[in-house]
Amino acid sequence: MGICYQGKTLKEVVAEREKLFEDSGYAYGLEKLELVEGDPAKFMRFQMRLVAACINAREMAKLISANPMSLVQGELLFLLATPEGDVVSASYGLAGHIQAFPFMIRSIANLGFEDDPGIRPGDVFFNNDALYGAPHNADCYNFIPIFYKDELIGWTVGLNHITDVGGLQPGGLGVISPSVFTDGFTVPPTKIGTNFKTEKWWELHWKRRTRTEAFNILDDKMRTAGCAALHDAVLGIVEEFGVEYFRKGIKEIIERERRLLVQRIKTQAVPGIYHYLHLNMVKYKGVVGKLFAGSNRDWLLHEPGELQILPDGRIHCDVEGLSSEAEFHCNAYEPAIRMLTSLGCWPMFAYTQTLNTALYYMTSWNLPPGCMFNPQNPYAATVMSLAEVGKYIFLFHNPLSMAYFARGYLEECFPQDAAGVGYGLAGVMGDGFRWAGGDMTLITCWASGATPYKDGEAAMVCSPNPAPDLGETELGEFLQPTNLNIGKVLVPNYCGHGKFRGGLGVGMMQMITDPGQSLVVAVFGSTNGMGRAGMGMCGGYPGPNDVVVFAHDTNMRELLEEGKPYPRSFVEMRQWLEDGTLKAGSVEAFKGATPNIVCKDGDLFGSTSGCRGGWGDVLERDYKLIENDVKYGWVTADVARTTYGAVIDKDGKVDVAASDALRQQMRNTRKEKSLDAKDWWRQEREVALKKAWHEDVYNMFADALKWGKFRTQFMGMWQLPEDYAL
Amino acid sequence: MEQKRDTRFPKEHLRLLVEGKLDWEEVKKAIRLAPKDNDRFWKYLEVLQERVPWKDKILLRISDHLYIVAKEGGGRVVKCDCGHEFGDYRVNWKLGCRIRTRKTLEEMAEVVAVEEAAPEPHLVEIREYYCPGCFSQLGTEIVPEGYPPIFEMLPDLDTFYRDWLGTPLPDESPDWFQDKTLERPAEWAKEG
Repeated sequence: MGICYQGKTLKEVVAEREKLFEDSGYAYGLEKLELVEGDPAKFMRFQMRLVAACINAREMAKLISANPMSLVQGELLFLLATPEGDVVSASYGLAGHIQAFPFMIRSIANLGFEDDPGIRPGDVFFNNDALYGAPHNADCYNFIPIFYKDELIGWTVGLNHITDVGGLQPGGLGVISPSVFTDGFTVPPTKIGTNFKTEKWWELHWKRRTRTEAFNILDDKMRTAGCAALHDAVLGIVEEFGVEYFRKGIKEIIERERRLLVQRIKTQAVPGIYHYLHLNMVKYKGVVGKLFAGSNRDWLLHEPGELQILPDGRIHCDVEGLSSEAEFHCNAYEPAIRMLTSLGCWPMFAYTQTLNTALYYMTSWNLPPGCMFNPQNPYAATVMSLAEVGKYIFLFHNPLSMAYFARGYLEECFPQDAAGVGYGLAGVMGDGFRWAGGDMTLITCWASGATPYKDGEAAMVCSPNPAPDLGETELGEFLQPTNLNIGKVLVPNYCGHGKFRGGLGVGMMQMITDPGQSLVVAVFGSTNGMGRAGMGMCGGYPGPNDVVVFAHDTNMRELLEEGKPYPRSFVEMRQWLEDGTLKAGSVEAFKGATPNIVCKDGDLFGSTSGCRGGWGDVLERDYKLIENDVKYGWVTADVARTTYGAVIDKDGKVDVAASDALRQQMRNTRKEKSLDAKDWWRQEREVALKKAWHEDVYNMFADALKWGKFRTQFMGMWQLPEDYAL
Repeated sequence: MEQKRDTRFPKEHLRLLVEGKLDWEEVKKAIRLAPKDNDRFWKYLEVLQERVPWKDKILLRISDHLYIVAKEGGGRVVKCDCGHEFGDYRVNWKLGCRIRTRKTLEEMAEVVAVEEAAPEPHLVEIREYYCPGCFSQLGTEIVPEGYPPIFEMLPDLDTFYRDWLGTPLPDESPDWFQDKTLERPAEWAKEG
């Protein structure tokens, strides 16, 4: 006798969920939506009650946390799921996680949890293991079954992104990890409590296996408390509407919204095949040395994406050609890619009345075994998989923007590339107190990309987290007192240019103060010299790279004592270093992620991220927009001239006659410096024939050619002999 | 193609949106429009057709300057608003462009102004694809040398017109939804 409706086991209902959809094309086989159609107003009330319960749970529970990412940056989520794991409602916050939870329930069903350790009222379960459904180990899930009498009728779930996972690098987003054994504290599905209370032994694990024990223990209590509160609220709703209505209603929510999403695509898009590309550089050479021989190299990651909008309105995503799995932090499993890419789906077409897993039923993925998003090594590291899967939000933002553009719905175009900078840190204070922390400030204030009709906006969006907040600097400094924020500015010229330009990225400058005995800072980022994307939109340029600069052994203390100002961004820091105002013993610069950087008092840590790409030809940018850019310091006069062909006079106005002449000259330059396609093809073909690439490029092509789809394109494009090999 | 018009988002507003001149408040109304005006595509085609100096019938806009058009004597080709034709739309139009590559930091700096944020020139190049007729910049890529040009979009025009718009095209054929890009370099290789 199973715990689910009509005595079925959890394993049976999970399998039934898949089969019903496969056989009928409807979620749960629901061809008719009886409750929705019978009394829409009642159904709406039912659905909104469930959402309100999730939001209440979140707002109550987050006050238990001490972690600034939960408290003030919105990195948490509470949700309600069907017994099979489909999410029917959620609070705001880390919305994408609803896509991962069904995999977790599938895992515990198939692991036989119903028999051992058993699933009973009041049990508390935990998982942060990517192999079983968590996107990566920083995302910790607590979940509690909801029983009505003896029947499992749902799950309440609380999840948040914790501050430190106890990995090789401090923080939760390390960019050096050869295997799961260096990822940090990774726990497969585990029963961690009974009677709505976690066991005492569980706290010891957080204490002994992570650097931020206080944050992590309180976060765990937050998740459990929110689940328990939501559990009780849902049972109240069951009493009000009746268990039959609840049982049926939560499934109708999924199917109703699946139909809405399909209809939206058919209304706004154009069927066909669309392509986009990202590249990224991952640097391990010399970092982990002989200890991890397989990781003592660099990788140029190949991240192609094909979006197919199918005749029936569904979407199929194909990543064939993606780099192979390896001994690095970038591997991921299907739940991670579904989770993070859904954040491109919400704004582009999946905005509905509630967050739910309807997306699962209208999107499919080809993740070939052996690629880094389907690793066959069970010990593959996944600690920072999100940097790479996160970028695949492009597959929805950018190709769908082209599809909407083609259909005439220009106002729905919302190009976006996911890449941002944050950091983890760890140290020992002067009195011997060991501590750690992390900051995602620059993750939560990205710019938006340019559209076909306007510039992108600065610091307005957070793709990983639809309910972002920059947080409170004061709270950050209270909890992480070594990193004093001395500047946050929009960095001039830091965007992808175009007829409409991308939004400017934000620059941040910190001064290290009184770190005590030791401090290391480890920065994550995901551009690393490749640019923000492999292609631009309609002739606009992609956004430029992230920038991270450390200046060590500086004279900042002396400058402050003299009452001098301080640099607010890495650009100002560079200028000050050049003019001698700022002195530094050494400077380290990166275009993305860093290894652990040892910092001392007075060091400067500058970073910038989150700018976006342009749309259209730079030489068609309206002079008035350029004047405005120069007036506000968003674009400097020299860049207005060299990039946009606009001559700015002494009053800050565009000299139209001189600019028209300059633009004509720039068009002539285009003619002079370009080749006919066939001549260009001959040149590039020679490169392919001679295999004359940098080692990292060579290795990228050699790996990509293992995949049939890319090999066909590459061999066909360059007309290479059949025996061509790398 | 004259049908009863959905006036909630008039053609004049669409024309201004295409030109990047529609007032932001009106754009927001368009974003909030639910359901969307379902005659949008027909209005769009009219606006676009009025903007180009040639008469070929636009079937779909695929970039700022590029359209798939139906040729009177048969065929569907990519055409720039300047009048330059790129040939069969099933072949990536980038193979009909003039192409410039920026390989050095100095060349890249003209279009990526923040020096610390420039691409790595020993790994990638910046490609610019121009229309051979008007030298408008139609596309950009940041990729390693030897990376095949990215085919941004191959629309399934027959499904779109027949099943989604309910107005089949007169020259329907299963052949239209096929990527024929690789035929072009094969021809070049034969030509030597």
